[in-house]
Amino acid sequence: MYPASIEQYHRPATVDEARAAYAAAGGEAMYIAGGMSLMQAMKSRVLSCRALIDLSQVSELRGVENSGGRVRIGAMTRYRAVAESRAALGPYQALADAADRVGDRQVRNRGTVGGSLSWNFVVACTPVAALACGASVSILRADGRRESLAIDDFLQGPMTTALSEGDLLLGIEMPVPANPASSAYRKWGVVVDALPTIGVAVFVELASASSCRNARIAVVGLPGGPARTPRAEARLKAADLGDPSSLAACAKAAAEECDTAADPWIGASYKSHLIERLCLEMIGTAVRRARSQMS
Amino acid sequence: MTREISVTVNGTVYRKQVPVRLLLVDFIRDVLDLTGTHQGCTYEGVCGACTVQLNGEAVKSCMMLAVQADGQQVTTIEGLARNGVLHPLQKAFKEHHGLQCGFCTSGMIMNAEEFLRTNPRPTEDEIRHALIGNICRCTGYQGIVAAVSAAAEEMSAAGTPAKSGS
Repeated sequence: MYPASIEQYHRPATVDEARAAYAAAGGEAMYIAGGMSLMQAMKSRVLSCRALIDLSQVSELRGVENSGGRVRIGAMTRYRAVAESRAALGPYQALADAADRVGDRQVRNRGTVGGSLSWNFVVACTPVAALACGASVSILRADGRRESLAIDDFLQGPMTTALSEGDLLLGIEMPVPANPASSAYRKWGVVVDALPTIGVAVFVELASASSCRNARIAVVGLPGGPARTPRAEARLKAADLGDPSSLAACAKAAAEECDTAADPWIGASYKSHLIERLCLEMIGTAVRRARSQMS
Repeated sequence: MTREISVTVNGTVYRKQVPVRLLLVDFIRDVLDLTGTHQGCTYEGVCGACTVQLNGEAVKSCMMLAVQADGQQVTTIEGLARNGVLHPLQKAFKEHHGLQCGFCTSGMIMNAEEFLRTNPRPTEDEIRHALIGNICRCTGYQGIVAAVSAAAEEMSAAGTPAKSGS
């Protein structure tokens, strides 16, 4: 397990320099973010390149910012920084919940939000959290066009995204809703902080202490990658948040609309059980967090 | 194919011509002969034995290229002791049976050292959680957790935690 020969290494300081380095390599280049997935693929020779373009010094791609009614996260923001940015994330706490429990300390010190979204591993935590948060994904296309895509359209199945050869993910952003809102994510894995067997992320915007104006629920651990649960979302929007049976019905609906599949360790029915349990818990956490903003 | 890099390791600047594909762990072990950093899982990134600090932060040195450390500060286990005096973590691992074969120890300590700077008075649960990326196949972790806990107490009693090398 060792990378194949690499001819060139570039470490640009700006997005423009990164694009120039990519173009100069004549189509045989790869961008590397934190490398927590890409290095594994290079060492196992699944991927190789002539020129490696390291984005770690591109400071314009780093940081969590909450201003002008938007929360923005640069693609090169490391998990560690996201986990430490709860105040700036506002309603989008699910992203910090996810970042705080990715892999281990060493991975969180290098791995990035943009790297995880671009790689879109089937059971990664960041994509499902971003899906529940309703993120917009900013992309710089290889030809220089800037584009913004809904996360629902960006994520296109396991290890597949709307990115094409030479495109660069710049970051994600979410609006700060007018009403109290928050989100939460939790995963259950075979061992602590492992890739999730099942993970559930919930976002709610409250209309009152007992009703939602908007709700998004996303589940990871499914064969097709992270997915929203529209029927459960509709139930949550109509639910009486003070009525435990109403919330239990949302969680049950989420479990019923997800097609789980057994893996060598965990059966399909247990995964459905996990979806129901985690969904109920995350609705509770998101609502509690949102209510804490009401005066 | 090769590139000249300048990396500060344990306070010493090393200028070396290295292949671009050379992993940082092999640069440390084979080029610099600092063999205290171990390689336990054939570069799979799963064992944590190769953990060093990059600019003071714990990273697995098999998960990055040596060229990525160009211009940066690296601290290895060899950089922890000062004037022949063991770092409190090194002393505590010895006193609390935090090692048997010792293969995982340098990675454990390089991770724990940064962890204690971010959390000087951790609970046992926090210590266990912080060490998830480091596998030990001998001790069952009890001695390791006791060692990190004891070192945290000693360092807190002595004032601010010792700053990492470099």
